Amino acid sequence: MNAIIFSAGWGIIMMFCSFLVKNQSSYRHIAAVGLLVLLAANIFDTYGVDFFHIDSGKMLAYTRFGFVFNSIAIASTLIYVLLTGRDIERLGRYTAEFFTLVFFVLCGVCLLSAYNNLLMLFLGIEILTIPLYILTGSDKRNLKSNEAALKYFLMGSFSTGLMLMGIALMYGGTGTFLLESSRLQSNLYHGISFLEIVGLLFLLASMCFKVSAAPFHFWTPDVYDGAPSVVTSFMATIVKVAGFIAFLKLCTVRMSVTSTAIDWKLIFSIIIILTLLFGNITAIFQQSVKRMLAYSSISQAGFMLFALFSMNEYASKGLLMYSVAYCLATIGLFAVLVKMKDVTFEGYNGLAKTQPVLAATNAIFLFSLAGIPLTAGFLAKYYMLASIIKTGTYTWVVVAGVLFAAISVYYYFRVIQAMYFKNGEPQMESFGRSFKLGLVVLAAIIIIVGAFPQALFNWLYF
Amino acid sequence: MAYLVPLFPLIGFLLNGVFRNSLSKGLVGIIGCGAVLASFVVSVILFLDVRAGGALAVQPLYPFIHVANFKIDFVFQVDQLSSLFLLIITGIGFLIHLYSTSYMHDETNDHFARYFSYLNLFVFSMLLLVLGANYVIMFIGWEGVGLCSYLLIGYWFKNTDYNKAANKAFIMNRIGDAGFLLGIFWLLSKLGTANYTDVFANVSNLTPTDITGITLLLFIGAMGKSAQIPLYTWLPDAMAGPTPVSALIHAATMVTAGIYMVARSNALYSLSPIAENLVAVIGIATALFAATIAIKQNDIKKVLAYSTVSQLGYMFLGLGVGAYTGSVFHVMTHAFFKALLFLGAGSVIHALHHEQDMRNMGGLKKYMPVTHWTFLIACIAIAGIPPFSGFFSKDEILAAAYAKNPVYWVLGVIGAGMTAFYMFRLYATTFLGQFRGTEEQKHHLHESPAAITIPLIILALLAFGGGFFNVPAIFGGGQQLHHYLSPVLTAEHEHEIAHSTELMLMGVSVGVALLAAIIALTKYARKPELNEPEGLGKVLANKWYIDELYDNVIVNPLLALGGFFKNVIEKSGIDGFVNGVGGFIQYSSRRLRLVQNGKVGTYILLMIFSILILWLAFWYQATITGFFQKIF
Repeated sequence: MNAIIFSAGWGIIMMFCSFLVKNQSSYRHIAAVGLLVLLAANIFDTYGVDFFHIDSGKMLAYTRFGFVFNSIAIASTLIYVLLTGRDIERLGRYTAEFFTLVFFVLCGVCLLSAYNNLLMLFLGIEILTIPLYILTGSDKRNLKSNEAALKYFLMGSFSTGLMLMGIALMYGGTGTFLLESSRLQSNLYHGISFLEIVGLLFLLASMCFKVSAAPFHFWTPDVYDGAPSVVTSFMATIVKVAGFIAFLKLCTVRMSVTSTAIDWKLIFSIIIILTLLFGNITAIFQQSVKRMLAYSSISQAGFMLFALFSMNEYASKGLLMYSVAYCLATIGLFAVLVKMKDVTFEGYNGLAKTQPVLAATNAIFLFSLAGIPLTAGFLAKYYMLASIIKTGTYTWVVVAGVLFAAISVYYYFRVIQAMYFKNGEPQMESFGRSFKLGLVVLAAIIIIVGAFPQALFNWLYF
Repeated sequence: MAYLVPLFPLIGFLLNGVFRNSLSKGLVGIIGCGAVLASFVVSVILFLDVRAGGALAVQPLYPFIHVANFKIDFVFQVDQLSSLFLLIITGIGFLIHLYSTSYMHDETNDHFARYFSYLNLFVFSMLLLVLGANYVIMFIGWEGVGLCSYLLIGYWFKNTDYNKAANKAFIMNRIGDAGFLLGIFWLLSKLGTANYTDVFANVSNLTPTDITGITLLLFIGAMGKSAQIPLYTWLPDAMAGPTPVSALIHAATMVTAGIYMVARSNALYSLSPIAENLVAVIGIATALFAATIAIKQNDIKKVLAYSTVSQLGYMFLGLGVGAYTGSVFHVMTHAFFKALLFLGAGSVIHALHHEQDMRNMGGLKKYMPVTHWTFLIACIAIAGIPPFSGFFSKDEILAAAYAKNPVYWVLGVIGAGMTAFYMFRLYATTFLGQFRGTEEQKHHLHESPAAITIPLIILALLAFGGGFFNVPAIFGGGQQLHHYLSPVLTAEHEHEIAHSTELMLMGVSVGVALLAAIIALTKYARKPELNEPEGLGKVLANKWYIDELYDNVIVNPLLALGGFFKNVIEKSGIDGFVNGVGGFIQYSSRRLRLVQNGKVGTYILLMIFSILILWLAFWYQATITGFFQKIF
């Protein structure tokens, strides 16, 4: 509860700051402090110190897994703010409002990690997405940004409609909004109400939309590409992973149907393969690193979907690992990307000569995304693949996953190739030494988590 | 203490190798020579220990390979055989190192240090080979000397021919090594151990087939390393390396490894008549074959190289007929006079500024007295004229060969005659008569410096007196070496021939050798062979065209096959497939991209269709999975 209330509260504080504090550059400091407070509050909550005793009436259920994920999300946001805070300021006059919306999004994230009621799920998703519509269009004078916001809003509304329809049908099938519900014994199809199945399918489609899984991913490249890079960075990482956490909960509780005749594995395997296919194959031909990263986020989503497929302990651990590896690496890549004046592959030519630290850290982030050993990304992929192998079925999905991971190396390493093996004079915005230091720390975290994954997992238990 | 012996050269190798850019030549020389000298001192102490009756010292250093019940330890064994070899390796090795400080002085600092680090590594590997108490450690050293010979033969790596020679040596050796390795595997699979003591104690557990198989495979290794037919062609080409390296390869290290290995395994070989006969036949065949080639070579080092091949043939003959002591004895005396011959040849080459063709030499007697006299001593020794060292060792082998089969003896004596002939041809062409080189060379002719002459003199003394270590009973000698080695060479075949017969045999062989030497001297002292040979001589000068034969029968077909794989299979097959996959993915990327057309309407329509399709897939999942299960 701490995190939900603190994030909402600090969001309101940020709103007031916009007219109480005149100095533009102090907003990001206030935001950073707010995130630290939020992180502390969440850690307190993790160890049982709850500042607000509110009876949510089974609407929310807190788990250690959820708390750990909250911490990861908040810490990632903190890193995001520290690395790209200056670039957010360059976006326009409404910096304080920008941070306000970030805090509201975090509020939605915290709700999604704790929901126990389909209405709470809906609420969390909406709190998460509505600020994003605004953030996408935050570069008001840029037509592309406006177009992206409008597209996102239109399709998002459609998916919201689907979700509500699904929840309504499930209510009709089970008579309750609670996630863990006893099933009514009427109109049964292999032990499940027919209405519930249709509802779940609609819910599945809309959740797939949120995490940009194919074939509901069409908005992703357009929106990620059109939105300001700083927003894309946030959207593609923390928001997307939060969607997965919510999705995982939905799956483990509602879709792990015990009846032998129905399971969702076939549907999920179709979605996984389509997502990997669209994400990886389309990424290959992109000329812009930003758009490539948009497709890469789809392909990474394909790997995270593995967890929803297998729904075992490997899956939940792996998803946690994946969220750390994916968020940090992508935030780092975007932090450098927003400094680039030219975000095509050519723009990166010769970066290793002019900015060796940036190039080296960028290379580590890309290694992690590609799943090269010794980085967190490798272990994350390993856990994902292992989780399916543990289920003992659908081994071909694993084979396909490995093949697509190999394809992904191609477009990730194109960036490394441009940085290290091509000649050019990359044009960049100015940045300080602390920025470089931040990137180095980020790269170090990725390698440390990759080398000592237990440091992360132990947190789930102790 | 045994571990100190290889440790010093290893340290020397590391020091000279790592600091090759910063050390001065003097320091490099001191480190290189000092390391080997220190090993020599330790070797002498060990030798005296063993001689005084010290117990068989097997010294475990550390566990090397331990897998379940299968154990191979890093163990050293100092006994009569290995201690003798230690003396030869480090003693002669030291003289060659000393000699090299002068011979290689024209090299730049870092290359000079590189040379000495390789040389030390060479000695280290050989010591490891000799000291190991099991076949695996021996194999490590075995490979080490192969590597070092490669490095040193190709020392002047800017010359393509030299690199080819280095490759040839390495590849030929690897062919032999494969056999050796298989032999070790066979041994390990049957006995579960490779320790000499355990193996020889348990030979009774092996079937005759096993023993024959193992010994023949091991002998393939020896063929490669000790340059026997058919794997001998690398040794003459190995002349590409600096001359002291040739001396090291031919005298102290490398080629004697095969002899050492067979002698070490005498308990195995003596149990397999097939293997013994094969060793003897290959040995005598090589001895004769190489001797014929040596007669018509004009490169001073080539003659010596073929003479080594030929002498190694004698040693294998000795091993084959059970005269293990004789062979080891011949290794020793051969080490003395062959080192002397090579170093003497090096001295000549050095004085003539890298001239190796004998036809451009002659009359060096008066310009280089020390080199001349020492060289003459070596020639007499190798020709087997009493009381020089070669006589004693060669005769011991020949006597044993006679006892086994008189045919071996007859062939051996013919070979001995040829040996005397080509050695004195070499001597006469080089040192007698008139100088035939350029005026420029003549102007610079001089005796070599002390670092070169001192090793020559020491080696000359040894080449002269080396035979007295094992004077046969017939001359009232005590056969010290024989008694010394008898605890190790248990399978020594004591031949029983009457003293009168033995004297007669000796007389014949010495007579033949003397005759051949005198013919050669009179023939070539005044009128050296300057023209290109014809007829049989041409065949001999071209080494029986064996290299060409190998090229056509083995090398070229292999290259053609490789070219086929490279140009056809890889280019159109594998590359085509790999690039095709990449191309296909690029193509599908271009197509798939078009789905993303930017129109919200299309997107939503696609989403609705997707939901419908997913719904159908869910509804008919039993049918779909059943269908796939039928296919796969």
